[in-house]
Amino acid sequence: MKVDVCIVGSGFGGSISAFRLAELYRAAGQEPSILVLERGQRHLHTDFRQSMDIELLSRLYGLVQGLGAQIVLGDGVGGSSNLYLAASLRSPSQTFERRDHRPDDGPDRRIWPSQISRAALNPYYARAEQALRVQRPTWNQVSKSGGLWAATLAAAGHTCDRVPQAIDLNRCVQAKWCHTGCIFGAKNSVMTNYLASAEQLGVEVRPNSEAELILQSAARPYRYIVTAANIGDSRQPTGQTFQVECKVLILAAGAMGNPPLLMRSRPTLPALSGRVGKHLGVNGDHIAAVEYDERKVRDVLGLPGYGQFYKGNHITTMSYDWWKGPDGTRFTLQEIFLSNLAHALYDDGRAPSSEPTWWGLQKKEALSTFNNHIEILAMVEDTHDGEFLAPPPTGSHVRPNAGPVGIGPFTYQLSDQSVAVREAANQAIKSVVERNGLARYMKPTYRSVSAAHPLGGCRMADSKDFGVVDHRNEVFGYEGLFCMDSSSIPTSLGVNPSLTISAVAERACEQLIARADGYGLPARPAGFRPGVPGVMIGPHVVPHRATSDAAIDAKVRSYG
Amino acid sequence: MLQRGAVLSLLPVAERILASPAAALAAPNLADGTLQAFADTLIPGKRVTRTDLGNEVHAKAIAGAHPEPGAVQADALLLYHHPLIGFDVVEAAFLADLEARSLLRLGQFIDLPFAKRVEVCLEGLSPSNPTAQVWELAAAVPFAAFLCTATQKNATIDKSSGLQVTGHPGIAPNGYADFSYRRALSSERTATGSLP
Repeated sequence: MKVDVCIVGSGFGGSISAFRLAELYRAAGQEPSILVLERGQRHLHTDFRQSMDIELLSRLYGLVQGLGAQIVLGDGVGGSSNLYLAASLRSPSQTFERRDHRPDDGPDRRIWPSQISRAALNPYYARAEQALRVQRPTWNQVSKSGGLWAATLAAAGHTCDRVPQAIDLNRCVQAKWCHTGCIFGAKNSVMTNYLASAEQLGVEVRPNSEAELILQSAARPYRYIVTAANIGDSRQPTGQTFQVECKVLILAAGAMGNPPLLMRSRPTLPALSGRVGKHLGVNGDHIAAVEYDERKVRDVLGLPGYGQFYKGNHITTMSYDWWKGPDGTRFTLQEIFLSNLAHALYDDGRAPSSEPTWWGLQKKEALSTFNNHIEILAMVEDTHDGEFLAPPPTGSHVRPNAGPVGIGPFTYQLSDQSVAVREAANQAIKSVVERNGLARYMKPTYRSVSAAHPLGGCRMADSKDFGVVDHRNEVFGYEGLFCMDSSSIPTSLGVNPSLTISAVAERACEQLIARADGYGLPARPAGFRPGVPGVMIGPHVVPHRATSDAAIDAKVRSYG
Repeated sequence: MLQRGAVLSLLPVAERILASPAAALAAPNLADGTLQAFADTLIPGKRVTRTDLGNEVHAKAIAGAHPEPGAVQADALLLYHHPLIGFDVVEAAFLADLEARSLLRLGQFIDLPFAKRVEVCLEGLSPSNPTAQVWELAAAVPFAAFLCTATQKNATIDKSSGLQVTGHPGIAPNGYADFSYRRALSSERTATGSLP
């Protein structure tokens, strides 16, 4: 089949580009000729569950194990936006000024392209915030766990800020189940805005379709031919394939998807940068936890107890007080609830500190105090230490069965700098929480890097020598081929990455639309202005809002 | 003594050959009992004869090292054999390594006292073990069973021992009313939530 625009992936980057280009077609009075290929299945809010059973996890998640790291992926139409925790933050100015000092990466220079700065991105951040309906919670909407983190920091003389969220806080019932999809439709995932609006404008989304190979087309204005595989119920290719010929090809399969696809296509795209598959990062994710003494919560912090980690939004507060100092040493500290499984990532915090630290009797004691925990996500300035090896024959990783666990062809070895800044984060958290015997710090165990924020692999840069795409997210040497998603982000961000990925995609779309006729797409009409996608929630669960938690709180306490 | 251990180490294989698949969940054979004993070493629990879902526990599996329910009660064995996990592919290799290390401590894993089981697992999970990644996969299963109640759809604290121990209610179909302290608890550094 032939279309003007083929988009691979339907997460933030894919949905934003689908919507913005559909707007262009409609403004030009044309039916959009835009096809979105999505490897995963389509989900409605009513398909989600407040459950971590293996069958649901298999439909929603990928857990890709590489050498030295395990990466969590979102699977399905809407990508990771279905599962994200909706913290929506602008990355600090210093992020975009970071420099690369590593000798094997070339001369000392700014990592981001010269055209990209926080000031340059601000209009696009604003556009994404409007589309994703980002709200900052009031203190009345901050969770107890987030409030406890704020109070802990305040007692130690630090500041702590409320975190803006892409959540309709009027609809949200504070159930703390964002991580398996919001059954209430209160979280502003792209299936409720960008992607839903794109489909309303005429974009076709084809689920269960995995791009496998990119060829060049000689039939101008068509430039590329994508070979895609149908994916069956077992989440494996069925053996049936189809081809899509397009004028513009936008890769938005994410940092774990784009690099293997381009690496597999290198024989037909020989001028690709040698940086494809390199500089894979995890946004400096460093996940730890704190176990509170509830008596001290009352005595030291003056709060009316705790024991309710299970309530409220996943991310509501964070501190920027350690975002200072030279490049590569800064980090932020955010209170978070990832999922119940995150327990397995950190130690028991108990003396003696010898092995075993993350399993065994002492760990069991630590698990037993879960509802008096909070979890802390340190987002540190690291050096993007991963690299893809050879791509698998199909897809982005090897899936041995229809379950969530797969094997990824990549390595991840933390650099000395990445280790040092993580150690600094450990010390900062420990010094704050262990004052006056308030709490016990439980640090990550380091046996493997675990992250839900893969970035890079097709990073943007000023030249092909240092990156894969330019500041407009167009692949060096290949007109009309774009990486418009997390794979283009060249550094850790100090904040959760979804809003920056969105802002970069918004900017890239604007740049593409300005030159649309050159690619054989409709010319941008005079006076064309990007709009705001509508809100379309679709089928969802309507809760009977709780008026009292007394019964469930008492039941939790009854188990000791 | 070593010879006796070598003979005993073959028993899991023999028992698996003899055991029918249908009987596996009803009465765990030695291999399944050994997987339960491994799960009990990682997340120890009190002795029980049945799991949350009513499956049988091997009589020797749980060492009784902790007074609250552990991973075995949370149906770790059921998850080991779940087709969406895929552990069956590596089970034989894992058990062979586990039993070889147990043999050096003069017994099958399931017959070792808790402290010796811990020693075996420390060795197996050590980064110096070439098959440590297989052990990590084996270790992930009891954590997923216990922390996520991965064998139950829409789990609640009423029927999930993992949720009971961790103090998590499970599903929250109506959310929570008393979820916030409802007051400013710190000074803030930014006007918008993001740094300039």
